[in-house]
Amino acid sequence: MIAQTVISTLLIGVVAYAATERRRSPVVAWLSIIAAAAGLYCTWMPDQATQVAIWAGIGRGVDLVLYIWVCISLIVLLNLHLKLRSQMELVTVMARTIALAEARRQFSEKAGPRHASGGNP
Amino acid sequence: MTANNASQMAQPYVRSPVRVWVVIAAYNEASVIGRIINEVKSRGYTVVVVDDGSSDRTAEVSAAAHALVRHPINLGQGAALQTGIDFALERGADVIVTFDADGQHRAADIEKLVQAIRAADVDFALGSRFLGCSDGMPLSRGVLLKAATLFTQLTTGLRISDTHNGLRAMTRRGARIVRLRQNRMAHASEMLSQIAASGLGYIEVPVTIEYSAYSLAKGQTIGDALMILLDLFARRLYR
Repeated sequence: MIAQTVISTLLIGVVAYAATERRRSPVVAWLSIIAAAAGLYCTWMPDQATQVAIWAGIGRGVDLVLYIWVCISLIVLLNLHLKLRSQMELVTVMARTIALAEARRQFSEKAGPRHASGGNP
Repeated sequence: MTANNASQMAQPYVRSPVRVWVVIAAYNEASVIGRIINEVKSRGYTVVVVDDGSSDRTAEVSAAAHALVRHPINLGQGAALQTGIDFALERGADVIVTFDADGQHRAADIEKLVQAIRAADVDFALGSRFLGCSDGMPLSRGVLLKAATLFTQLTTGLRISDTHNGLRAMTRRGARIVRLRQNRMAHASEMLSQIAASGLGYIEVPVTIEYSAYSLAKGQTIGDALMILLDLFARRLYR
């Protein structure tokens, strides 16, 4: 019972995390929710989990729960990767803004009034 | 081709008021970038080099360009091109040309692209090595590019023969729809997707690609192609 409660708390945490990520990354959120729901089902219905595990060729219900947990970990890892990509896009925007501001200043100094409108020399 | 178009084709672009800006994204290209800049400048184009956080003397050598934009960190070719396009747009460019920094493009082909845009009244002119010529292209590179082209045709619906050619020209209107979010090599496919989605006109133009040991070393491998596919896939998973 204690183990079931701990695992369930963790899985509910996964569902809550997925819900917060739903807008930014709906695919990852739904995968997480489905995996967490499957984990909850297996945790509280161990007999049926064993049947599903045998059907899936895993053998024991507890191994099925473990596999689902690994799947959740991989999905969360994917989400972190996507978050990093998203952060990189923000870094890019910031770096571009800095680069363009400096370039504008230098270009104006270099070109002078004659080329300030951007025409061919 | 109509008589009007034919007469436009015959007119040298330099007599018209079209402001052509050539964007060169460079990362650690100090050994070749000076020659590239001089070749392009000698044909009367305005050159903007985007130094993508190089650790060598690329920025110093690129001082010969009309404008130099320096990324504080290395972001990737896609990011550098977008920066260059943004800069050219705000400086009033009518036509923006993207040109590789590794010396495999011919400056003479820029004129073909610009004239093709004007003659065909389209917003994009895409260079094609398969319609033109590719000197010294290894067989494996050719197969890889053909596979990439097939992938692009299937995913975008564009009828093109060369998908990852860095030599392309776009009008001001065309440049405004280009919003590259793929910082690395997947930007070429992303740009084609955006062209397809915009419904703007495009034309392919035969160009020459001259492969050298230097450009081949900087070119894409099968591993890079897989990364491009992963990048394109990952971009669809979040907003």
